[in-house]
Amino acid sequence: MTATPHETTKASRTAGIPFLLKTAFINALIALVLFSLMVGIRTEAGSDGQLTYWARFGDVAALVGAVFGGSIVIELLRQWIGPTGAEKLVPPSVQSGMSFIGRYLAPALLIFTLLVPVIFYNQRYILDLAILVLTYVMLGWGLNVVVGLAGLLDLGYVAFYAVGAYSYGLLATSFGWSFWICLPLAGILAAFWGVLLGFPVLRLRGDYLAIVTLAFGEIIRLVIINWQSLTGGPNGVSGIPRPSFFGIPLDNSDDGLAAKLGIEYSPTHRIVFLFYLILALALLTNWVTIRLRRLPIGRAWEALREDEVACRALGINTTTTKLTAFATGAMFGGFAGAFFATRQGFISPESFTFQESALVLAIVVLGGMGSQLGVALAALTMIGGFELFRSLENYRMLVFGMAMVLIMIWRPRGIIGHRAPTVYLTKAQVISSDLVKEGHG
Amino acid sequence: MTSAPTPLLAIRGLHAAYGKIEALKGVDVQIDAGEIVALIGANGAGKSTLMMTIFGKPRARAGQILYEGRDITDVPTHEIAHLRIAQSPEGRRIFPRMSVAENLQMGADATECTDAEREATLERVFSLFPRLKERYVQRGGTLSGGEQQMLAIGRALMSRPRLLLLDEPSLGLAPLIARQIFDAIRTLNRQDGLTVLIVEQNANHALKLAHRGYVMVNGLITLAGTGAELLQRPEIRAAYLEGGRHG
Repeated sequence: MTATPHETTKASRTAGIPFLLKTAFINALIALVLFSLMVGIRTEAGSDGQLTYWARFGDVAALVGAVFGGSIVIELLRQWIGPTGAEKLVPPSVQSGMSFIGRYLAPALLIFTLLVPVIFYNQRYILDLAILVLTYVMLGWGLNVVVGLAGLLDLGYVAFYAVGAYSYGLLATSFGWSFWICLPLAGILAAFWGVLLGFPVLRLRGDYLAIVTLAFGEIIRLVIINWQSLTGGPNGVSGIPRPSFFGIPLDNSDDGLAAKLGIEYSPTHRIVFLFYLILALALLTNWVTIRLRRLPIGRAWEALREDEVACRALGINTTTTKLTAFATGAMFGGFAGAFFATRQGFISPESFTFQESALVLAIVVLGGMGSQLGVALAALTMIGGFELFRSLENYRMLVFGMAMVLIMIWRPRGIIGHRAPTVYLTKAQVISSDLVKEGHG
Repeated sequence: MTSAPTPLLAIRGLHAAYGKIEALKGVDVQIDAGEIVALIGANGAGKSTLMMTIFGKPRARAGQILYEGRDITDVPTHEIAHLRIAQSPEGRRIFPRMSVAENLQMGADATECTDAEREATLERVFSLFPRLKERYVQRGGTLSGGEQQMLAIGRALMSRPRLLLLDEPSLGLAPLIARQIFDAIRTLNRQDGLTVLIVEQNANHALKLAHRGYVMVNGLITLAGTGAELLQRPEIRAAYLEGGRHG
């Protein structure tokens, strides 16, 4: 888009003005076409039920004007701080600072996360939000296996979240099984459904795969709504037992953990327990993913993302590779679902709409496909930001849309776009430092 | 060349098709252990199809593929690599976002070998293509075309093959780089006793390198002979060597 190579700022400005105006004009024209019907004509049911409508020229003009001005501003921003030649503009001191931050960001975040319940012990709202963020971090990490590593675009990830949640919800309410028995079962069942989805889509890639997985997510939701005798249909499952501390309930009773420890009971105990539970589950997801990436199966996932034909030529069984990716991702989705069910105590199909899939996918893509830290940061910004901008009400989606567009313009590969290699030579080799740097580029 | 009692690879009456389009119409090829065999022919003659049919994709419609006397016609694609047959596919097809080291490791992953064997093979690949050692932390996609070809061959070698199938290794490379690749193949054959089937459009290079050659036209082998013999044939010269190609 920015076809003007600029050596000096002045030259770029003089060369860019006709281009700027042209882009802005085209954008304004598109806005005019879009808004002329959406905003320009207001329809309402009249007093007798007839259709009344009137034109709102002023509103359309204001919107088109805003688009015109806005696209000039965005284009200018892109030319000045956009990706073209931006790397040379960053001074070395900032670069070394960035790499320092990069190295210690993950451990620092982890330590901070561990301390969240201590720091915010009395702020229930923040604790709840932190649990929500961690749930999405876990979902993001789970989907990352399928989308980020294996490169299989899955738009129906929420299906596995739902399978996990209903597995726990139904097993716990029907048979009274404890959370710690149901958790692995929820994971296994979700993985089973992952394989079931995997079989028909083995030959599909890209757009086609996305459509089928999208349909799969909807099918699971519709089955849950309509299979009333098992799932309770739209009414959902209620009265799902809260998790216990390995058999010891976290309540105000004489058998409760508080009574056994001889401390005063507080409802926050349960929240803190849930917080550490989801943190442990998320870290488990992360640890397993990192380990798998260094094993042949993880490398095979990544190679599959890169080139399927080459994989086959190298003797990789693409069928099992794809199925294990689906199963692994689905299993973590199932764990997260079981956690969701025990946290909420109530589940209904409304929690498992396509919007959830889209949100988790957005987290993975924005974070940088395949990057664990990037996904965590994206989950934090997306979910945390959602709450932060709650006061903006209707405009919050607008703000988010804009933020996502901007991230994709400036960091097309996501917040953390680079992937760390997993294979090194076993013997330490003396190589010049600039070679290593180039490799990380 | 003296032919061994059991050829390493024997292809008999092989037929293969994409849907209704017949790509191979009864191909007979024999490769003895320790040979370099070149397969030359025009675009669309079926050379790459033959190579891929050996790997079972597409499956043979009729005919037999015998490897060390064993029928491998119906062996699943992913198991063929375990029989120590390696392939460097057309267009190189390295993994662009993975590092050179990871690309090479991918070649070794499919085969069961000890760490020491893997290290030794890696050293061998590095001695053939020192450039790969210089670049082992770089992403595959950042390599030049020639280096990518070296990586593709190196990756295939990591599975410690007895038979190496090379599909158009000189495609799109500068003559000097192509020569380096051909030299490396010759070295592998002479020093390591590796058997090579090489598909090439660059008939001159390939026939000079190969002990024997096959010419393929429209899914059939029309000529066979030693590399030197084929190079002398007037019809080969007319069809594949003259007409703008220098060298």
